[in-house]
Amino acid sequence: MSQLLTLTFVAETIRLSIPFACAALAGVWSERSGVVHIALEGVLLSSAFGAVVATLASGSPAVGVLGGVLVGTLLSLLHGLLSARFRVDAIVSGIALNLLAASGTRFLLRAWFDSASNSPPIAGFHWGPTGSSGAAMLARTLLDPVTLLAVLAVAVTPWVLFRTRFGLRVRAAGENPVAAASVGIPVVRVRLIALCVSGAVGALGGIHLAFDQHRFESGMSGGRGFIALAAVILAGWRPVRAALACLVFAALEATQILLQGQRKLPPEILQMLPYLATLVVLALAAGKARAPAGLGQHATEER
Amino acid sequence: MPEPALQLEHLSRRFGAVLAVSDASATFHYGKMHALVGENGAGKSTLLKLAGGAEKADQGRVLIEGVPLAPPTPAEAIRRGVGFVYQHFMLVDAFSTLENLCLGHEPVGRFGALDENQARRQAQAVMSKLDLDLDLEARVAELGVGQRQHIEIIRILIRGAKVILLDEPTAVLTPGQATHLYATLRRMADAGSCIVVVTHRLQEVRAHCDHVTVLRRGKVVLDTATSASTVADWTRAIMGQEPPPPVQRPARPEPVQGGLQLKSLRVESTDKGHLAVQDVSFTVPRGTIVGIAGVEGNGQRELVRAIAGLQPCNEGSVWLDGADISKMSVAARRAAGLAVVHDDRHREGLMLDVSVSDNLVLGDLGTGSDEVKTVARRLGAYGIVPADPSIRARNLSGGNQQKVVMARALDRSVAVAVLAQPTRGVDLGAARGIHEAIFQTARQGAAVLVISADLAELRAICHEIIVIARGKVVTTLPPDTAEEVFGQAMLGEAAP
Repeated sequence: MSQLLTLTFVAETIRLSIPFACAALAGVWSERSGVVHIALEGVLLSSAFGAVVATLASGSPAVGVLGGVLVGTLLSLLHGLLSARFRVDAIVSGIALNLLAASGTRFLLRAWFDSASNSPPIAGFHWGPTGSSGAAMLARTLLDPVTLLAVLAVAVTPWVLFRTRFGLRVRAAGENPVAAASVGIPVVRVRLIALCVSGAVGALGGIHLAFDQHRFESGMSGGRGFIALAAVILAGWRPVRAALACLVFAALEATQILLQGQRKLPPEILQMLPYLATLVVLALAAGKARAPAGLGQHATEER
Repeated sequence: MPEPALQLEHLSRRFGAVLAVSDASATFHYGKMHALVGENGAGKSTLLKLAGGAEKADQGRVLIEGVPLAPPTPAEAIRRGVGFVYQHFMLVDAFSTLENLCLGHEPVGRFGALDENQARRQAQAVMSKLDLDLDLEARVAELGVGQRQHIEIIRILIRGAKVILLDEPTAVLTPGQATHLYATLRRMADAGSCIVVVTHRLQEVRAHCDHVTVLRRGKVVLDTATSASTVADWTRAIMGQEPPPPVQRPARPEPVQGGLQLKSLRVESTDKGHLAVQDVSFTVPRGTIVGIAGVEGNGQRELVRAIAGLQPCNEGSVWLDGADISKMSVAARRAAGLAVVHDDRHREGLMLDVSVSDNLVLGDLGTGSDEVKTVARRLGAYGIVPADPSIRARNLSGGNQQKVVMARALDRSVAVAVLAQPTRGVDLGAARGIHEAIFQTARQGAAVLVISADLAELRAICHEIIVIARGKVVTTLPPDTAEEVFGQAMLGEAAP
């Protein structure tokens, strides 16, 4: 068990936590504005694809980041338009967009890369020291630009959400859209902007996944969007706590990978660990955390 | 004559088949307290909403200082100095008082950050002018209704409102709080504001307002200074006829056995996980009408639900005619002779999109009674209009909907009747019919418990009145006790 305390393990935990944390932050932004967001999974997947395509087309990972953010933002905005503007049930819209992301990326993989499973490899960023020592791995992980952006997002979100006018209006839209509208706040517009922020932040997670694997793989989000949503609920819709909860999930995943290498338990059992942990956590947190009171409500009776 | 603050010119507004406001005109002045009165459904709230931009008129126009309100939206009305205090407060419970006060017009510093100091200064300025003091950091969820209302008023004043429209502002207040509110409003009027209050409490109009406008079926039928007319004039205008003689409650019976008994009842609240009913014990003997008075949200809802069997008692027990029914199902309690009318007829009383006849026999199915005969009897006995069992309950007026709910509960063998807000949102004629049904039930020997937010109603129909506050029984008073004593008790302070 001494392996759990090595720098390698810390680096692994941080590396694995980024997609979770970004998706969780995306969930906080969306649900704080009152829009249930189960399309996080689709945001991760589609932005990973967008990042790979943009990188391959331009040869620049920076452009890849922009491409991923654009795709993730658009998908999230689409979810906002469907559920907040056109009042499609947010669960239905979320499922539809997850299916769209899963099948759309598979379709485009075939059309553009003639593959059923993955894209051609990409280089990604090469920052920080080389070498396979724990310290080098940790340095590489921490200096990764996408990780830095994600950390920045975690740091800035509480300030924007709780200290600015925009944040106050987002939370008002999520807590009581009728009251927000009565004081002249354009609730639908506020929600759409929050969904764009959500998509952009969530996209960082997808981009990280793709750059980490150096290619796009079909279905590579692997349920992380849903686990992130569990982290949001566990954290009571508070951004920093949600990110910390994701670190715990990531530590479980890192442990799981470590244990697989020792071949003491069947890998199928070990791979279930993070998902089992999600179930346990949800069962414990259920009914305790207080969701935004206006989640899923609209500002007016009729359209 | 100075220029009017607010003019309503020939306003009409239709909802589906109902003409809620019909060619209504009225003028409101700075420095005056105006009252807008009428029965439920007379269109007074709709007219106020038209004035505040919260509804759009089909015809007619709203002038603010002589200039039309365009576009007719709440945002534009606020910009033009017209503030609206809604009957159901428009506050974010999870926010602090300060956040609620500045929502929608937040002072900002660098990078869009909230300037809390500026917001605090604005709030303090208005509060000192009105001689009010609110804890700006307190969470609104933890505040009482009186304080919430002050937040709403301070909020629109911070935004510079000079015309202040209030929809039923005293409906949820104790008599003492209402007097305090009117004192605050008077201070605002004296400072030059134009105040318009919608209310159905004519005594308040008499005591506090300068001008009264009476609406009936969407039309303005009386528009006069309060000093130039009497409450009787207003009542006649409101009803369109002479008011019915006051109801005569049945004599209080000799002490009898049986009825409803609560023993040290404790019930958890439906939403927040605290105890909403705390150690409540009382007895309602058969043939007696007992009222429960108190500010809404002080445990009334949980009390009724626990008696009905919809919510478990955490501790204590409910007894009916000497038998403990606390563990019985809802159906078993009904079979034992318990009749319950819940306070929200739309959510808990009726299936709105189902026929009147199905609604009338809900819960009696499979009892072997003749359904058609039962429906006909209940329609007739309660004077439900139109007496057409096939129309949907949604299409009945509020008063007739309530009669359906009452008929279903009371037109059977009843040992104990628990009636929450039996005449809420019901016009005077229907209320009278409902009161007679309550008397009839008591005369037939049932114990009747009436929970009402309308103290005047309880004082008119009950033999004795239990006052509760924060889930506890404060005191039990005879109905002819002075209103001020009730008001004190409703705040949780029993008279010595």
